Amino acid sequence: MRDTAETAAPHLRLEGLEKRYGDGPPAVAALSLTLGKGQMLGLLGPSGCGKTTTLRMIGGLIEATSGRVVVDGRDVTELPPHRRDMGIVFQNYALFPHMTVAENLAFGLEMRRVPRAQIRERVQAALDMVRLGTLGARRPRQLSGGQQQRVALARALVIEPSILLLDEPLSNLDASLREEMRGEIRDIQQRLGITAVFVTHDQAEALAICDHIAVMRTGNLEQFGSPEEIYEHPANAFVAEFVGRINRIRATRDADGTLHVGAATLATRVPGPPGPVQIMLRPHRLRLGAVTEPGWTTVTGSIHRTVFVGDVLICEVAVAAEGDAPMILNVERHTEGAMSVPQRGEPASVSWREADMMVFAGTGAAA
Amino acid sequence: MTTVARRTLPLLPLLVVPAVALNLLTFLYPMIRLLSLAFYEGFPGGGIGDELSLAVWQSMLEDDFYPGLLLNSLWTAIQITVIALVCAYPLALFVHRAPARWRNILVVACISPLLLSAVVRTYGWMLILGDAGFVPSLLRAIGFDPPRLVFNATGVVIGLAEILMPYMILSLLAGFGRLNPTLDEAAASLGAPPFTVFRRVILPLSLPGVLLGCLLVFVLSVSSFVTPKILGGGRVLLLATEIYDQAIVTLNWPLAAALSLVTLIVFGCALVAYGRIARRVELGSA
Repeated sequence: MRDTAETAAPHLRLEGLEKRYGDGPPAVAALSLTLGKGQMLGLLGPSGCGKTTTLRMIGGLIEATSGRVVVDGRDVTELPPHRRDMGIVFQNYALFPHMTVAENLAFGLEMRRVPRAQIRERVQAALDMVRLGTLGARRPRQLSGGQQQRVALARALVIEPSILLLDEPLSNLDASLREEMRGEIRDIQQRLGITAVFVTHDQAEALAICDHIAVMRTGNLEQFGSPEEIYEHPANAFVAEFVGRINRIRATRDADGTLHVGAATLATRVPGPPGPVQIMLRPHRLRLGAVTEPGWTTVTGSIHRTVFVGDVLICEVAVAAEGDAPMILNVERHTEGAMSVPQRGEPASVSWREADMMVFAGTGAAA
Repeated sequence: MTTVARRTLPLLPLLVVPAVALNLLTFLYPMIRLLSLAFYEGFPGGGIGDELSLAVWQSMLEDDFYPGLLLNSLWTAIQITVIALVCAYPLALFVHRAPARWRNILVVACISPLLLSAVVRTYGWMLILGDAGFVPSLLRAIGFDPPRLVFNATGVVIGLAEILMPYMILSLLAGFGRLNPTLDEAAASLGAPPFTVFRRVILPLSLPGVLLGCLLVFVLSVSSFVTPKILGGGRVLLLATEIYDQAIVTLNWPLAAALSLVTLIVFGCALVAYGRIARRVELGSA
């Protein structure tokens, strides 16, 4: 179950963490956030957003230009990586090729001067934890990608670090393994109650396993919140589009809050500054057909295409708005009886609840 | 793909015939002629005996000079190899870690000394190390009494170490393929301070390059005679210089041939040692 930051004791705190290279815009700009003990933070964003830079600053692999990294109330900003007590899982695993799997795991314990007998015990326990109990004598290159990933995870965890840092750990795995591994990482993280930071560009990954998500773009923190908050109440159009699938309708707003989509006027008013706006709608919150109940809004258009994906039939309805891409609509497939599949070109209307409608000022052209 | 390979395969052995023939003619045959010379007696003035004899070997073993020569050669070569390694390693590591756009320029800079003849570079060292040269003058200027740096073993070791360094750098760079800065970061994150990262990760992974470079520089320093001749001023006697003297000056070809054979055996031993150690290194990291 997910704790909120308020109930868990703060463990990792970033205070105005910033990284600049030369005179250009900062790679990471004044990032501040707090993570509770035992929680998993997802740093989410497109490539170049500064998420990996942030992770590397937390781990001490690159120096922060300004700001602080605080762990358990202790400022670790100035500490070199070998004194930070953080386990890092690298994107390419970074296993030592000249050591066996067991030697890879033992390395961190040897650095901590753990007695030899105890090292053997803890290495074996860590290998068992990632279900590689019998492969300790192998060399990394004799293992599959998924196995190497597990070794990397075990090696970072066997030292019982205060914080676990994961840098796109799943991006080198194929799709089915990725889903399995992310569940496994989450299980182990929760079982050990370890605070973790997980860098990913895959919003589904972040939504699935993180307690908190920091959505970043070009060095800036766009939103920080629980997966539900990020998904249901995105702070801006960028977050709305980046997290989950979404329909975007370009519209204009009058001074009194009236919204116009093309020639049509919506029943709902959303007060705000007049000018171009974007209406964001989750596909599965839309309903095909007109709904006249209060609190609902309807637009009309025509069926552009239907896509059958098994559990869901996606109807793409082209809404008459100047030059807009058709907005996509999910309809749950009826399990009993024949479902009538709308034909291409058929007139159709789409309705949604006002509460599900997200309106952001601007054209979104820059985003 | 396979059909093409099958069709061209019978022709492949034919393609090596010219190279093999050339080698047999110009390398193997003179080699055998040369080495067989070692089993004839040599007379002053360039005479060579008619019958097979071990006289040369006998005189070599009876004279303390020749075992000493062998040991001196080995010791000098080992010193040169170690100095070249110690100087080249950080340089090679720096070049390897340099940003890609700089790396090629730096590699060229490292091996550009090879564009100059070793003779020219040796005379360069004479200017630097000679009594009125840069280094002694500098030492005198800061109040030291400079040791003699030319016409002795010190000069030979310094000069050859520098002259052979490009080979060491190239070998090291070739052997650094498995080094990866992320491995350093992984080791650091596991609690290894910088020197431990070097000792436990960087060094073991670069051993193949170290071994190759050492073999190459060792063999080249045993076999070089121009630099020892000039920087040693005739006072540093090594296998290679002695072979030269016996073959060109004294005209004792059988003795020169015997010394060549000894040198060849040294190279053989170095190769075997390299093979053994390299295999162990490979096994340790395969």
